[in-house]
Amino acid sequence: MPRPERVWEAEHVVVVRRRPTEGPAMQDHRLRLRALLAGDGTRASPALARICALAVSELAVTGVGVTLLDQPGAIDGQQQLARATDAVAAQLEDLQFTLGEGPGRESVVTGAPVLVPDLADAGARWPAFTAGAQLAGVGAVFSFPLQLGTIGLGSLDCYRTSPGSLSPRQVSSGLVLAELAFEAVLAAVTDHAPDDLGWISDIHVEVHQATGIVMHQQSISMREALMRIRAFAYAHELPLAVVASRIVDRRLTLDADE
Amino acid sequence: MNDQHEQRLARVLVELADTLVDDFDLLEFLSTLVQRCVELLNVTAAGVVLADQKGGLRMAAASSEQARLVEVLAVQADDGPCLDCVHTGERVLSADLAAETARWPRFVPVALEAGFHAASAVPMRLRHNVIGSLNLLHTGPEVVDEARVSLGQALADVATIGILQQRAVDNSTLLIEQLQTALNSRVVIEQAKGVLSAHGGVDMDRAFNALRSHARSHNLRLSELARTVAEGTADLNAILAVPPHGRPIVEPRRRPQ
Repeated sequence: MPRPERVWEAEHVVVVRRRPTEGPAMQDHRLRLRALLAGDGTRASPALARICALAVSELAVTGVGVTLLDQPGAIDGQQQLARATDAVAAQLEDLQFTLGEGPGRESVVTGAPVLVPDLADAGARWPAFTAGAQLAGVGAVFSFPLQLGTIGLGSLDCYRTSPGSLSPRQVSSGLVLAELAFEAVLAAVTDHAPDDLGWISDIHVEVHQATGIVMHQQSISMREALMRIRAFAYAHELPLAVVASRIVDRRLTLDADE
Repeated sequence: MNDQHEQRLARVLVELADTLVDDFDLLEFLSTLVQRCVELLNVTAAGVVLADQKGGLRMAAASSEQARLVEVLAVQADDGPCLDCVHTGERVLSADLAAETARWPRFVPVALEAGFHAASAVPMRLRHNVIGSLNLLHTGPEVVDEARVSLGQALADVATIGILQQRAVDNSTLLIEQLQTALNSRVVIEQAKGVLSAHGGVDMDRAFNALRSHARSHNLRLSELARTVAEGTADLNAILAVPPHGRPIVEPRRRPQ
């Protein structure tokens, strides 16, 4: 078995790069999805559009939309249509915005995917949304939240004209693509490279703790706190885990203007 | 097993069954489970990791939120008894971690650094799926005995039944939703620990214990209380106040034989 590669060591924090050979096929699955996103040759199209297009093929669904909350973290904030692969996907986002109900909204509230293999079963759950979606010819909906703890940015909403469940592998793809979409949204609102994706898959619990600390110290939102920690790590060329560990141990306090 | 031990076991089973009510909080339940494992099985520490459906393992509960124990559980996303246990669906035992460096190159140094010398992991199995693993950790050089591990397996089975019970799940869709909710709630708890730690100048273990004590004494769900803390709407002073009758729960110690 190959030894892991030690890439950074500081105090008691050791960051070790994952060995690509290890783990179940799922780890390769994530890498494959990232490679597909990076290598489709259409760099002009925004990352979110490419994520939606990849979701259509990986989940074998008819269409996909990404909805973003206007005020991240506040579910009541006005939703803005970010991307949709077709007119029906756009219509589903519009329905959820207008009615204030639906699978995407629910996924952001619960922080978990909302999987509805047969929309006919959802009449009691979302009466108005279900009626409207069925009129548009939708048979199944699957929503995955763009979420990290209390930081909810929106949802990746997939639909299929025919009913039927997703396979475990397709669910896994949906979760990974939603994670990548979360990163793409954060990258889009900072100066980071648009393809700066994949860091959440390795995220350490201390990053979440540090985010809470910075939020409280600076009286900012949790999302803003995470972005400041990321920006600091970027500017100082340090691994995110190392910066987080220093914040948790009180060896580092971010300045308000950092 | 003596009478006293049997009585304790019976009480734990009743307590776990009692938590399986409508307003069930999976993380709270797993947190109770690992606490009771430490007391009943006479191990130093216990934790639960869950499969995240994306190919990884995530810590869901730990008998103490000391950074070192959390790290011992977190590192098992890379290698260690829990990862092997989830992959194989079989229990994994090691009575001498120092001899396992080649088997678990990432886990062993972290575990030894934290003072653990023996470990076992039992699967949380739901029909054909292994959804996670219960990890028992020992500082002592004592042999990991079968009886203790079997009892651990029994408690893990109770926990797994609990997960099913919540929503009569013979349904992979609901199971995925429930596990993902729990994993996201765990992130919320970490964010909330950070907020409380910054507010009160306390460490993460204190912050978690304050959160859990407050939730229990005010009959709130742990996950919901953590959310209000992380969203900045909770009364942090009230949560951090030491309860009038008692002190914050300290890290469980090994009970003398």
